Amino acid sequence: MAAVQQNLSKMISAQLRNKANEFLNSRKHANNLADILQMFEAETDNYTPLLLTVEVIFTELLRRGDLVEEIIPLKPAERSPEAEYKRWLRECYEAAHTRAIECIKRGRTNSRLQALVTACKLMQAEGKHPLEQSTGYYFPSVKLKNIFTTLLDSETSMSAPLARFQEFTEYRDVQQYGLKVLSTIAYRKSPTSIYMQNYLELLDKLLICEITMDNKGKLKERDFEQKEEKLLCSTEDKAPFPYNPGVCRRYANRCWGFACQWPLCDEPRSHRRALALLVERLMPLLTKPHLATDMLCDSLDAGGPISMLALQGVLELVRTHNIDYPDMYDRLYAMFEPEMFATRYKKRLMHLADIFLSSTHLPEALVAAFAKRLSRLALVASAEDAVGLLQLVANLLLRHPALKRMICYEDSPNIMSTDPYVMEETCASASRALGSSLWEVCALRRHNVPALSAAAARLLDTGAARAAPKPLAPQDLASSFDAELKRRFKTIEMNFVRPQGMTSSGDRVMQYWELMA
Amino acid sequence: MAKVKNKKNSGLADKVHNKRKMDNNKKKLNPFEVHINREKLKVLGKKSKHDRGLPGVSRAKAIQKRKETLGTEMKLMNKTNTFIDNRIGEKNKQLSAEDRMIARFAAERQNQRTKKNIYNLADDEVLTHRGQTLEQIEKFDDPRSDDEEDDGGVKFGGGLGDDFVDGHFGGGLLSQTDSKHGGKSHKDLIEQLIAESKKRKADKQKEKEQALDLTEKLDSEWKDLHPVVFTKMRKEDKEESAIDKLLSQAEKKSFDYDKMMRELRFEKRGTPSDALINDKKQEKEEKERLEQLEREREQRMLGEDERVVVKPQQAKPKHRSAEDLDDNFELDDDKEFMLAYDKDGKPLVPENILKDFSVPNTRPKFDDGISDTSEEEEEDDDDDESDDSDDAESNEHNEKVSKQNEDSDDALDTSTEAKTKRRKSKSDTDNDESDDDSDSIVPQNNQQLISKNKTNLQNGSAMEPDRKKQRTEDKAKNKNESSILIQNTKDKESDDESNENGEEEDEEESTEEDEDDEEKEEDFNDLKDLKESDVDSDNEMVEEDVEKIGSLFDLASDEGDKLKELLSGKTPSQQSTALQSLIKSYDPSLAENNKDRLSRLFAHMLQYISDIFTDLKDESDVLKSLLTFDKLAPFFYDLAHTNKVSTKKYLVELLKEKYGNFKKRQKRVPDLDTLIFFKLISLLYPTSDFRHPVTTPALIFMSEILISCKFNNAYSISRGLFVTTLILEYTILSKRLVPPAINFLRGILYLSANTSVLNPIEVVPPFKLHRDAKILNLDTDCSKMDVQNKMAAKDFVMADIDDDFKIRCLLTSSGILREFFDYFNDIEAQQYLFEPHLKLMDRIDLDLYPKKINKTISGVVQYMKSTLEVKTFSPLCREKPRPKALRLYEPEIKEVFTGSKSSKQLKTRYKREMKGALREIRRDKSFIASVKIRQKIQSDNIRRDKVKQIYKDAAIQQGELNKMKRMK
Repeated sequence: MAAVQQNLSKMISAQLRNKANEFLNSRKHANNLADILQMFEAETDNYTPLLLTVEVIFTELLRRGDLVEEIIPLKPAERSPEAEYKRWLRECYEAAHTRAIECIKRGRTNSRLQALVTACKLMQAEGKHPLEQSTGYYFPSVKLKNIFTTLLDSETSMSAPLARFQEFTEYRDVQQYGLKVLSTIAYRKSPTSIYMQNYLELLDKLLICEITMDNKGKLKERDFEQKEEKLLCSTEDKAPFPYNPGVCRRYANRCWGFACQWPLCDEPRSHRRALALLVERLMPLLTKPHLATDMLCDSLDAGGPISMLALQGVLELVRTHNIDYPDMYDRLYAMFEPEMFATRYKKRLMHLADIFLSSTHLPEALVAAFAKRLSRLALVASAEDAVGLLQLVANLLLRHPALKRMICYEDSPNIMSTDPYVMEETCASASRALGSSLWEVCALRRHNVPALSAAAARLLDTGAARAAPKPLAPQDLASSFDAELKRRFKTIEMNFVRPQGMTSSGDRVMQYWELMA
Repeated sequence: MAKVKNKKNSGLADKVHNKRKMDNNKKKLNPFEVHINREKLKVLGKKSKHDRGLPGVSRAKAIQKRKETLGTEMKLMNKTNTFIDNRIGEKNKQLSAEDRMIARFAAERQNQRTKKNIYNLADDEVLTHRGQTLEQIEKFDDPRSDDEEDDGGVKFGGGLGDDFVDGHFGGGLLSQTDSKHGGKSHKDLIEQLIAESKKRKADKQKEKEQALDLTEKLDSEWKDLHPVVFTKMRKEDKEESAIDKLLSQAEKKSFDYDKMMRELRFEKRGTPSDALINDKKQEKEEKERLEQLEREREQRMLGEDERVVVKPQQAKPKHRSAEDLDDNFELDDDKEFMLAYDKDGKPLVPENILKDFSVPNTRPKFDDGISDTSEEEEEDDDDDESDDSDDAESNEHNEKVSKQNEDSDDALDTSTEAKTKRRKSKSDTDNDESDDDSDSIVPQNNQQLISKNKTNLQNGSAMEPDRKKQRTEDKAKNKNESSILIQNTKDKESDDESNENGEEEDEEESTEEDEDDEEKEEDFNDLKDLKESDVDSDNEMVEEDVEKIGSLFDLASDEGDKLKELLSGKTPSQQSTALQSLIKSYDPSLAENNKDRLSRLFAHMLQYISDIFTDLKDESDVLKSLLTFDKLAPFFYDLAHTNKVSTKKYLVELLKEKYGNFKKRQKRVPDLDTLIFFKLISLLYPTSDFRHPVTTPALIFMSEILISCKFNNAYSISRGLFVTTLILEYTILSKRLVPPAINFLRGILYLSANTSVLNPIEVVPPFKLHRDAKILNLDTDCSKMDVQNKMAAKDFVMADIDDDFKIRCLLTSSGILREFFDYFNDIEAQQYLFEPHLKLMDRIDLDLYPKKINKTISGVVQYMKSTLEVKTFSPLCREKPRPKALRLYEPEIKEVFTGSKSSKQLKTRYKREMKGALREIRRDKSFIASVKIRQKIQSDNIRRDKVKQIYKDAAIQQGELNKMKRMK
């Protein structure tokens, strides 16, 4: 069945290609175009061949300039068949574009993506070969607006097309015009959550290229940028694109302003997305970032991954905008729970904690509490996480020499009956960690993963020589499994007792399992 | 005061006495010869050496000296010929006379090594040993003839009768004439004498021959008698021990005899070929070897752990000069790497090593043709063993009384006897079975091992230990037999079956070797036909297998299929025998590429195991697969030992593949077709190593399973528990911390605990609060239920969680938990690790569980609590660095001291020397002058004398002339 379909689609695409070629070669086959456009009516889930054909036809037509109507001012429209034909072609072009945009919503993912790409390609072709003469830099904003309206659908999630759209937002002109267009169409009273998702995602994509902040050295950067930046719709003979970061920022602010009015924080998903957008892209662009403080503080209280994201924003505020946040460190302290390993933002959290705890004005008791808690967590963490945690602890020890007493106690050691550190205490400074030692790290030296065991040994050795704190190692993607497999060994040790079956010395499987009934 | 005076007096007396003695010793000086030098300035306390001198003596000395030196020189002056003493060592006063001789002798020998007789190796010199030449020693004279001849000689000298003397020497004519009345002529007498002596000689010869014959006869008879005496002796010993006191007197009488007998017995020496290391020694060596291996394992277990702390070692410079002779440096031979070759004959070693060493690119040697002899040897061995045991048994049957006092020399016998004794102690019915067991197993294993060992003759030493190992294991098996009673009867039956098969196999094998070649040529299609005509009897099965085995490696592409064909449709034990014969027939010693083939076989077996463990639907399937695995596991071990490198490669590839599959669906626990390999790895490789190419990734894989999978149904929980058990097994020796396993147990406890939303107890991902909670919680009263105390194979295929499963899960996990708990008894962090578990266990309503299980679990809880209660926390501290020693200043000492004082001294010394030298020269001159004048005077005197003589002669002549004139 599938084979038949495949054959069918192959046949169709071949047919379409023929038709398109015929149409492009001579005007005799003008009706082919009408046929092709007609085919959009048919219900299928795969428009890919059709879309490709349309793309080929119209990019070619635009390149040739067949669509350009010469309009002479103060003269009624010509009635010649030539002009008629052109007018008809333009109608067809508009129709094809709308059809393509419609297809973004329908059918299979592949075809949807293709529809988006076709629409953008057509837009690009039009930008390169404008339909009307213009003096400045021409960008087909109307087409872009159409695309955006479709992407900001209220019912269907557009994550896949939006992800694909990223390749176009990397162009500077798309970014600038996109932000402008978005700010015009964004206003909506009570958007659905899906709309919000799409909106945030689109905004995120539009801001993927960093917008430079400073006005100083503008000229220099101009020159630099002109070499660097990619432009979607530029050709040699066109006017240069007037890129203006200030304008971009203004539009971005306006877009965010609209979004702020929506109930972003009601649903965790959109909340998370909004926070990620805010923290990662928007913060430097905002004119009044402290307005986001409330949102961030609320989010920080939410707990879980949301608060981890908010933490980054708060950090930014604290560092650059002099916001004073109460119990900052206690909140950070509370975030280190075993559940953090299940979240996606654990690495970010550890990184942030490293920055937070690099402050020189921290009381030692607090840092000690962190060290204790982190190593406690490392006891239950997976090997990869534990390595990161240990590195963090090592940095703490290096930055705060007084913590050395946690790994090598100078005074005469008195044996305690319990650990003075109180894990349950929520206030970090009150957890009495300074009197404790990092016994957890000792236990980790017996970890089964050799790398981790070595890391723990190194940590215990930091007391001897003071080195500069290392940045948290970027977690290599290869897991320790692959790393171990790649390791070379000089010998391959074997057991020296021949097993007489499944049982061997030190066997535990047989002790707990009745497998040989 | 008095005392002091006294002392003084006594000292004086001594001095006087001493002086007298000295004077006696000294030559008495002529007071006229002594010249006293006058002192111009007398300095108090100064001792003057030159206050008196002996001018005459010293002058004589000086003259003598000059005579020897200057005088001789003068003699030789203006003469062309000189006499030089070139004798070796003559001038060297330090050499003793003997040393001088030796040096001269050595030089002499050296001289003989000229070019001419360089090939003339010690022809002319006669080597001696204790004064006798070697030829003399090597004469091998018959000692007995020697003394007899001597005897004869003595007799000859002393035995000459008077007649003889008379005959020869007359014996006095007078007496002869007196006694010559009988009328015997002298001639007759002589003849008689000759005849007599001839006769005596002949007699002696005869006697000698007879004695020789007799000795030989005696010798041969003794040899026949020897074994009889030998055994009899032992029996006697036994009887003595048994009857003891009664025979003690008789024993005493025969003591001398015994002693002599023993001395004689020492003559028998075993030839080196049948030297047997006796069992005790064997055991000891085996034990030592195992201990050594164990030590190495422990070393590896510690791994880099220790080294990291010590300090990163400085990288040794790799640079080595070409002229480096390595005389001063310790070579960094870290560890010997294993040299192995792949199928193309290229060495499989890490490249960095290849760079360092030049590995000769040779193919591994296989000793072909040895297989035949090995076969014979095996049989011999077997015979020997069986004979021995037979002997022992018969002995026992005969003399049950005298068992204890075994001759310690014959340890082999003892051990076998001991074995049989042990068997005897069992009931008769058992006896037969166990006998069968051990008898058939031992030869089989030995055979196999021997043939295997022939392959790698390079490390032939491995052979002994292996065999020994086998033996000790067998023994252990025997010992433990009583404890294996748990084994079901079914198992035993299968064992018996396998043994039978094995025996048949053995018979088969002798012919198999010959048939092998033919079979290989046989058409593959025929085999298939044969296979389809499935015959039930094992015998034919085996034959069929043999054929299949023969063609197994014909085509590289379908080896796997063929192996599958070979193994499928059989009971596990049959598979085992089939595989055994397969491996034996492709022994690396038999053909060149068999090693390679075997390693491929390893891969196919892995595939086979993977296949039989996929998609198991019901319990019987699981059990069957596990049984098969159980039977095949030892062969994996054997194969892995034949080719370590490539088998490791296969296993690692397999792990990678399985890991890839797992990564695709991370939330799902891998099925048994993955998990079983973890078990296999633990059978093959040491799991305790700090780092190991196979076990470390396997352990990481397992912990990742426990980290990322979801455990919410019977399927996942049973497999999770299995993995946890495996992790426990992996770390049982090294006691390593594997947090995922401990977290998993915490999760299991969480699932079975009665948790509430209000006061939750933390769990660690992959478990989450309030999700899937209580799925293992027991909510009905099962205290009357009868539950197995182990997890079982059926749990792997269980669809829904039932009470039985819940109970067993909890029991097993608490058992495992306790073992993990014990790992960390010495570590403070134990409390952090296991506190949550205890909290969760408190939430479990143990009253619902069966009583026995309730007791066990609460026992575990009690134990853990009590251990944690007495836990003490001592702060971490590090060894204090040693205090640095204060720097001490030492005086600087210069060897050469140059100052103004010395130069002055030198000047005066020079002056003095100069003066002395001038004086000496002057004296030399005067000496020469005196000598010359003496010579002159002497020659003048001679001339004067001669002139006087001439005058005298002339005057005489003149006088005579004048006389004659006057006469005229």
